[in-house]
Formats: sequence, C-alpha cells, structure tokens
Amino acid sequence: MSVDPCRGAESMMQPYIDRVLTEVEAARIDAHLRDCSYCSDRYVFERSLRSAVKECCCEEPVPAGFVERLRRRCSDQA
Amino acid sequence: MAPTDPPPGVVQASEVHDRSGFEEEALLHAEHLYRIALRLTGSRQAAEDLVQETYLRAFRAWRRYRPGTNLAAWLATIMRNANLDELRRQSRRPVQEPLDDDGDYYLYNRLAAAGPQPQDEVIARLSGNAIVSALGDLPPNFREVVVLVDVGDFTYADAAGILGIPIGTVMSRLYRGRRLLKRALADQAGDGEAA
Repeated sequence: MSVDPCRGAESMMQPYIDRVLTEVEAARIDAHLRDCSYCSDRYVFERSLRSAVKECCCEEPVPAGFVERLRRRCSDQA
Repeated sequence: MAPTDPPPGVVQASEVHDRSGFEEEALLHAEHLYRIALRLTGSRQAAEDLVQETYLRAFRAWRRYRPGTNLAAWLATIMRNANLDELRRQSRRPVQEPLDDDGDYYLYNRLAAAGPQPQDEVIARLSGNAIVSALGDLPPNFREVVVLVDVGDFTYADAAGILGIPIGTVMSRLYRGRRLLKRALADQAGDGEAA
C-alpha cells in the first residue's frame, strides 16, 4: 500500500517541528522536504508561525516591580 | 524511601536555609510563569493574582518539591491547579470543541490563496494582536496545552505531568489546539480582506 508522501509529511509536520519523531521518521521527512517545494514552503511557514506565536506572547514586558511585589505579598502571608 | 531521607514530619536544622534557598530558586521562574498565566487568563491582573496564588501554595508545600526535578514544571502544575480552582469558582468549565478535518496546511493555503508568495510575506500578514486574540479564544483545555508547549517551552512529558493527563492526550489536544488556532487566524485574515 502506498501513501501520498505529501499527505504523510503533512500528518507528521507538527511532531517533526516538535522534534519528537524517531530518527528514522525524521530522516524520511528530511528527505521529502529536500525534494518537495510544496511541503518545504509549508514547513517554513509552520515553523515561522510557531516562532511568531511564542514571540508575540513573550514580547509584552512583565509589569514593573512584579517580582518584588510577589516576594512582598508572599512574605506578608507566610 | 532513601536512607538519607528524614522521617516525615522531622524538621532538619538546615530547613530554614533550605526553604529560603527554595524560595529564591522558585522566584527565578516568576516571569516565565507570568507569561503563561497571562495567556491562560487573558488579563494582567488575573495573571498576577494567579502567579501570586501559585507562589503562596508552592511556599506552603515546598517540602514536597524534590530537589533536582524540574522546578518550573512543578510550579506550573500548582499554577494549573490554582487556575482550575478559579475557573470552577467562576463556573466556567473547559469545553471540547469539534474540529473539521481541514488539514494542517489550512492557514498557509488560505493566506497564500491570492497567489504564490514567499513564506515570510505570508507570516507577516498575521499581526501579533491577531495571534494573541486567537490564542485567547481557544477552548481552555486546548489553550492550556498550546500555551504550555508553544509559549512555555515545556515538553510533552512535562505538559502531561502538569495537566495530569496522558502524553497521548497532550498530543491530541496540541494537534487540535494548533489547528483551531490556525483556523481562527485564517478566518481573521479573511475578515481583513473582506473589510
């Protein structure tokens, strides 16, 4: 039984980016991405999206004095 | 029990020092936890209150932390439980959301539909506010997994421990949560084009 390699790559894309595939599985995706511009374009996009999610959630500065306030409240209630 | 462990309830002479060392070490994770809390609660004040409640609980339970294990994950577990308690208090229960099988590349395909373009242009069409808003709109049980793994950098195993669910459930919620996020972003991008 043969599986469409692009469908196979799509179904493995998230664990591939998360680096939780086995070496054999990851090598199979590596090889497919080298040969397939359709999937490699989408791989770059998925990775960029992951970075964008993280960056936009972490770029807002922690409120001024947050840790000191936390330390004070914890010691007040200890 | 290891031979060096004190019997339960016995206070060691070094305990005061150990506790203050624990507190200092734990506070190093406060900003990381705040960023996760901000995405779980959606407001700065609620996030700050949640982190404070987390540290109050952690400092009370500090003896239960096993040195050498992942302190950030231990604190995140406490924070998750505190957040659940707050959600229960507000009677907002996590809900499941059905998901159509529209493919992992759905967002890319929607954004690129106007014509072929480089990936960086496609990603540039998504604003930070749109991403934060879409993340905040995810059902809580999907949002917490996406936030822990994609924002908090916790592993699948850490997330499973923090949430008290099997790794397989983490993977399926992560998969569905990311798909819902992309679908929401695609819808927002579509609205922008229509405006």
